[in-house]
Amino acid sequence: MTIVIFGGGGDLARRKLLPALYNLHVDGVLPPRIAIVGVGRKPMSDDDYRAFAKAGVEKFSRRPIEAHAWEAFAAALFFVAAEVDGEQALAPLGARLDIVEHERGLNGDRIYYLAIPPTLFAPTVQQLARSRFVPPPEGRIARVIVEKPIGRDLQSARVINDAIAEVFQEPQVYRIDHYLGKETVQNILVMRFANSIFEPLFNQKYVDHVQITVAEEEGVGTRAGYYEQAGALRDMVQNHILQLLAMVAMEPPHSLDADVIRDERLEVLKSLRPIEGEAVDANVVRAQYGPGFILGKAAPGYTEESGVAPASTTETYVALRVCIDNWRWAGVPFFLRTGKRLPKRASEISVHLKEVPPILFNADRSARLDPTILSIRIQPDEGFSLGINSKVPGPHVQIYPVKMDFHYGSTFGGSSPEAYERLLLDVIAGDATLFMRRDAVEAAWQWVMPILDRWAERGRDGLAAYPAGEWGPSEGEALIESTGRRWMAP
Amino acid sequence: MDGAVADRSWRASTPEAIDADLAALWRDVGRGETSVARAVMSNLIVFRSPTSAAGGDMAALVGGVPVEEVAARHPSRVIVLEHCHGEAPRAPSASAVGILTFGPPTARYGVELIVVRSACPEPSLLSILRRFVRGDIPTSIWWTEDMSDAAPSDALLTVGRQLVYDSRRWRDARRGAAAMAPLVRHHRVDLADLNWRRLAPLRRALTHARGQLKSDAWRGVDVRVSHAADEAALAWLFFGWLRSDGVGCADPAPMAEAAATAARDREGGALLAIEIGDMHATLSLRSADVVCPDAPPLGVAAAAESEADAVAAELRSLAPDRTLAAALEAIVERFER
Ligand SMILES: NC(=O)c1ccc[n+]([C@@H]2O[C@H](COP(=O)([O-])OP(=O)(O)OC[C@H]3O[C@@H](n4cnc5c(N)ncnc54)[C@H](OP(=O)(O)O)[C@@H]3O)[C@@H](O)[C@H]2O)c1
Repeated sequence: MTIVIFGGGGDLARRKLLPALYNLHVDGVLPPRIAIVGVGRKPMSDDDYRAFAKAGVEKFSRRPIEAHAWEAFAAALFFVAAEVDGEQALAPLGARLDIVEHERGLNGDRIYYLAIPPTLFAPTVQQLARSRFVPPPEGRIARVIVEKPIGRDLQSARVINDAIAEVFQEPQVYRIDHYLGKETVQNILVMRFANSIFEPLFNQKYVDHVQITVAEEEGVGTRAGYYEQAGALRDMVQNHILQLLAMVAMEPPHSLDADVIRDERLEVLKSLRPIEGEAVDANVVRAQYGPGFILGKAAPGYTEESGVAPASTTETYVALRVCIDNWRWAGVPFFLRTGKRLPKRASEISVHLKEVPPILFNADRSARLDPTILSIRIQPDEGFSLGINSKVPGPHVQIYPVKMDFHYGSTFGGSSPEAYERLLLDVIAGDATLFMRRDAVEAAWQWVMPILDRWAERGRDGLAAYPAGEWGPSEGEALIESTGRRWMAP
Repeated sequence: MDGAVADRSWRASTPEAIDADLAALWRDVGRGETSVARAVMSNLIVFRSPTSAAGGDMAALVGGVPVEEVAARHPSRVIVLEHCHGEAPRAPSASAVGILTFGPPTARYGVELIVVRSACPEPSLLSILRRFVRGDIPTSIWWTEDMSDAAPSDALLTVGRQLVYDSRRWRDARRGAAAMAPLVRHHRVDLADLNWRRLAPLRRALTHARGQLKSDAWRGVDVRVSHAADEAALAWLFFGWLRSDGVGCADPAPMAEAAATAARDREGGALLAIEIGDMHATLSLRSADVVCPDAPPLGVAAAAESEADAVAAELRSLAPDRTLAAALEAIVERFER
């Protein structure tokens, strides 16, 4: 197997892909015969590339480098300078791949990883076709991995998907949503469908509402160029949060087959009630962070960040009230929120069950009981907990919400594999379960488009503000509090 | 859940790495032979004023107050905060993390401990606290200092639902009451005074002997209360309890020197001595005793409770103590007159 990383000398490769491949190598799960070939415009020798990879692994790998393992891994690393959008761009790459594959006894099965700017996704696959890098499906393996973002709206997503579809058939395409690679996200299905206690409760009869929070502590950092064009809705909601929502809300699949599971996730996206026109103003809050404090230190406002236009209307926070119009979830609101410069980095899903009738321990309205809440902590502090009201030992009836806490760290010890490890391994194995199918990407875009359109119409109108380091704007609180509920901070 | 600390894992950290370092400690714990369940019922922020004693030793910040004993009784994510006001916003200057494990080998549980030292203005402190508290559990502040010296900051009151303190630490009851005034008036947090717990046997004994404060038996009486040295705040709480229900009570006074000495000499010397007409009552560490001419003496034992027991009991209580709140209001009112 040969893994060709277009953009192999970039940030994603350094921070995620090369460390993930190294850890897979240490675990002994990579194919025994493999070559990993980085591609970029800037020329680098193979040794330079190995040094680049080593620096990345040293800094970002979950496990330290072990000399012996590194040597064998490094021997599989190569670099080829090529410009993917130039004439005859891939000719030198093709020649080099043939040599490397021949020398290492590889059979020509290949994975092409597009870790390059999204504007190059279409030109690159076209070059792959032109240079005959993509054999007919019945021939050698050829798979393509596509990074996010896939477009910045429905139309541009379709353009990218069309371009890819001209060269690759859908089963050969692996669109990354790295959230799906996280252990805790995969565990949602196990928790729901491998235990008898939760699934019977996951419906409108027992669930009052569901919250999904994806909070980032970081500001826009060095990614202003990208983020100014994206904003929180495109960067987080259209992909990651909607995928989390789909995992929590989907129907039980009839098998673990990739397409069966992906069909069920797609069903959820298709059942989302559209939010259009004025309904956007009532159900979606967007905001931008102003100056504030993060972990004690003063933090600048978004428009003071380098690379951000002073009059930027890009949202760094979004909160939504979402309805799923199917029998299971009718009448159960899903509250979603994400933002930059929130007090801490944390992704969490919480399922809030309905309150018990106010007859016994909560008959007195001043003695409200906490509802039962199932919290799924995606990151960091991976695990889940169930809050249960319990009697405090003693002569009086005093009730306290105790936690039944499952915590990966203390239960399993050791560090969980990174999302990219799992995802890369799945591509090698040809398992597309944790990847985004074209129809799902486009369904998600279709659903967010009316929100983007409404915002474009309103410009700055309706863009709220929050100080860096707070849990978002007061409008975000009001969105949920107007329904008699409250956000649960992670 | 009572029990001595079975094990402590502890490491210096940086503020940014606290979560990662805690996670690493848990992984170490998880690799051990016996399994350890993480126990967390609340966030407990233990406030400490800077002391020269602690110096650079973060572990020393946990000394002097029974933090571990409280954590064993009411497993919490414990955040020990040494803080003073500073002009410039800045990250904590030092931090450490630890995991305390308790319980028998078959049922071990572990509690997270975070220690941070900061010197910054209010909003900056708030961002530090927000970073470390978990949002899915109640948050209590344990104010281990003399509130008549330094009152809890706005930031603490914003993140906490409950303020646990001990008015016995007050060197000056008037200043203590002044510090309480805004808390009492604005009902921002539930108040839990450890000293108030010590008054419980006396309140029970008196209501048993004379009836509820609202009853006629208390109308028109003139109550006098005197207190041992260091127990002025306790006497004022008693005063506030009576006054909040309209019972007349003179300002507490220290016991006469001879009486105070005698009280100390007696076994379980009196902390408070009360006169209600011809009825006499005393409160000691052991009991509350009431003597009246026309009935046999009455005694209510005081529960033997350590400071850790008392703090843990307050942490478990999620409902505000309205009687205490009313008593504090009466005290604040008296001092503002
Ligand atoms: N970084 C992340 O954490 C992250 C996270 C999620 C998704 N992504 C996605 O991953 C992709 C890569 O992101 P990145 O952060 O790694 O970007 P990056 O650091 O800018 O890397 C881009 C890479 O592409 C190469 N490249 C650019 N133009 C090229 C051309 N015409 N021909 C050949 N190579 C070219 C660059 O190398 P030369 O300059 O030498 O040509 C560079 O190695 C993007 O689609 C991004 O949206 C990144």
